[in-house]
Amino acid sequence: MESHERIQAACDFLLQSPPGEINDVLNDVRNIISDDELLQEGIVPALKRYNLAQFITVDVPETNHQSIISEAARLSTGSEDEESQERWLDPRSKKSFVFDHIALEASDPQPFEPNEDFETFRVALEKASLNYLLAHFHDGVSSAFSNQTTPNQFILQVVANKYNPTNFWSGRWRSEYIVDLNDHTIKGTILVNVHYYEQGNVQLSTTHSISIALPPAIVTASPESAGTKILALIETEEGKYQNSLNDTYHEMSEKTFKSLRRALPMTRSKLDWEKVLGYKLGAELSSSKGAFTSGFS
Amino acid sequence: MADLVDSMLDLMRRLPPTRTEENVASLIGICPDYADDLLGSVDQPLQLKTDRATGKEYLACDYNRDGESYRSPWSNEYDPPLEDGTVPTPKLRKLEIAANDAFDTYREMYYEGGVSSVYLWDLDDGGFAGVVLLKKTMAPSASSEPSGSWDSIHVFETAERGRQAHYKLTSTVMLQLTMKKKDNEADGKEGWKRDGEVTLGGSMTRQTEQDWPIHDSSSHITNTGKMIEEMEIKMRNLLQEVYFGKTRDIIYDLRSLDDLEKTRRQRELQKELVGFIKR
Repeated sequence: MESHERIQAACDFLLQSPPGEINDVLNDVRNIISDDELLQEGIVPALKRYNLAQFITVDVPETNHQSIISEAARLSTGSEDEESQERWLDPRSKKSFVFDHIALEASDPQPFEPNEDFETFRVALEKASLNYLLAHFHDGVSSAFSNQTTPNQFILQVVANKYNPTNFWSGRWRSEYIVDLNDHTIKGTILVNVHYYEQGNVQLSTTHSISIALPPAIVTASPESAGTKILALIETEEGKYQNSLNDTYHEMSEKTFKSLRRALPMTRSKLDWEKVLGYKLGAELSSSKGAFTSGFS
Repeated sequence: MADLVDSMLDLMRRLPPTRTEENVASLIGICPDYADDLLGSVDQPLQLKTDRATGKEYLACDYNRDGESYRSPWSNEYDPPLEDGTVPTPKLRKLEIAANDAFDTYREMYYEGGVSSVYLWDLDDGGFAGVVLLKKTMAPSASSEPSGSWDSIHVFETAERGRQAHYKLTSTVMLQLTMKKKDNEADGKEGWKRDGEVTLGGSMTRQTEQDWPIHDSSSHITNTGKMIEEMEIKMRNLLQEVYFGKTRDIIYDLRSLDDLEKTRRQRELQKELVGFIKR
């Protein structure tokens, strides 16, 4: 395999990392590729893509909170200057910073001037989302952004992670809502990933997209009241979604799992293997189902 | 470099089970020298094939593969045909035929459908080894219903010790469940649209070693049959627990349906009350 193909394969593996296991995957990939120089050059774009897509969180310098690294947090510099380092935004502390995609650390915090026209509404969304986090997430982080290019559009992101390597599991909940005050809609996506890997590898992966029309009462309300009401809508939708996942679990278990393999044969007893032996499956089977179980012997 | 294989296996334990085949292919591309190690130790979904001679379906995996061809347990023929494909000795083939019949009955009793295949091979030390494969897939009867597949791979080795035989069994079950959901709400709330998919899949592996008495060679079928039946019952319970219990609990560890703030406030109120009563 050519070296660019090897790098491409390595990047594909990294992008598939389960929640909280990117370093484990990277260690494996290092050993498999066994060419650190080649890797170092080639994988940074993949790590960055992974961090953005997975809503990786970072401690914001000079604050006590975390913010989300995502496409919405990337500051458009407007300059073509390749020398200028890419900066990321924490709208809550109104700071921008440089982010190291390998060490997952922020540095060089600088004040950021938000667009005042939208800041009142954005702050209202942020406040309501922080209350929402406290109510429903054990360990959640949220960020509310004003869209840097579309006026009157806001992006709300939530992420919650639980990593428990000692018990071989990890999980991540991501949701993103685009609140558009121009066409009065909220478009949202909820993604849940769970990995359980004790003597096995079991993964849950869910996608859910929604589109809600914003009721006129919300559009005309004060920013503060609109923020609370929008989060109430999101709370209802996410609660509904979590309940619907329970229904899906129930259906998968009761319908599919049970019909794939029975817990016991129809006769409710295990097979009598002495009888099974030597018996040729054929037309007789349908008429004598159960003749092989010990209960009938 | 044993630890290169360890790294590959660790990687396969972490990457999404739905993409096992493409990831194994890509690892083989990077390290072609380790293809056999990988194919021999990473369980992949069983492929369904049709025996040209009998028209009967059988299962293909690394254990009945020779080059690019797969051997059918029903006709003992390779497809595409091989002049000198590896086949069991006539004595072992006789046992293989009987084992295929027995596990076909087992399959009908527990799976009520699906396909089974048993392959046996001689070991250098005089013993033999084998693999029992079972697969069933379910297509949804309506678009709102889940689809799924179950693949069992039971690999065993046996060594005779006088009137006893020692068995080493390694069992892997791959279970895959998918459900697509689409709903445009028509309950008066205009403009609500939902669209989604839930995929729950993967594999679990367990091992056991047991001694059983033997009377003649057919005892190996009853003995492995009992062991595999017991193992599948255990693993079905385990899968139920992990798939529908554990992964669901983890979602609740991420997000709580109940309002955590309310619970916190209630707890504080309770503390206050207790303090008040004690006073």
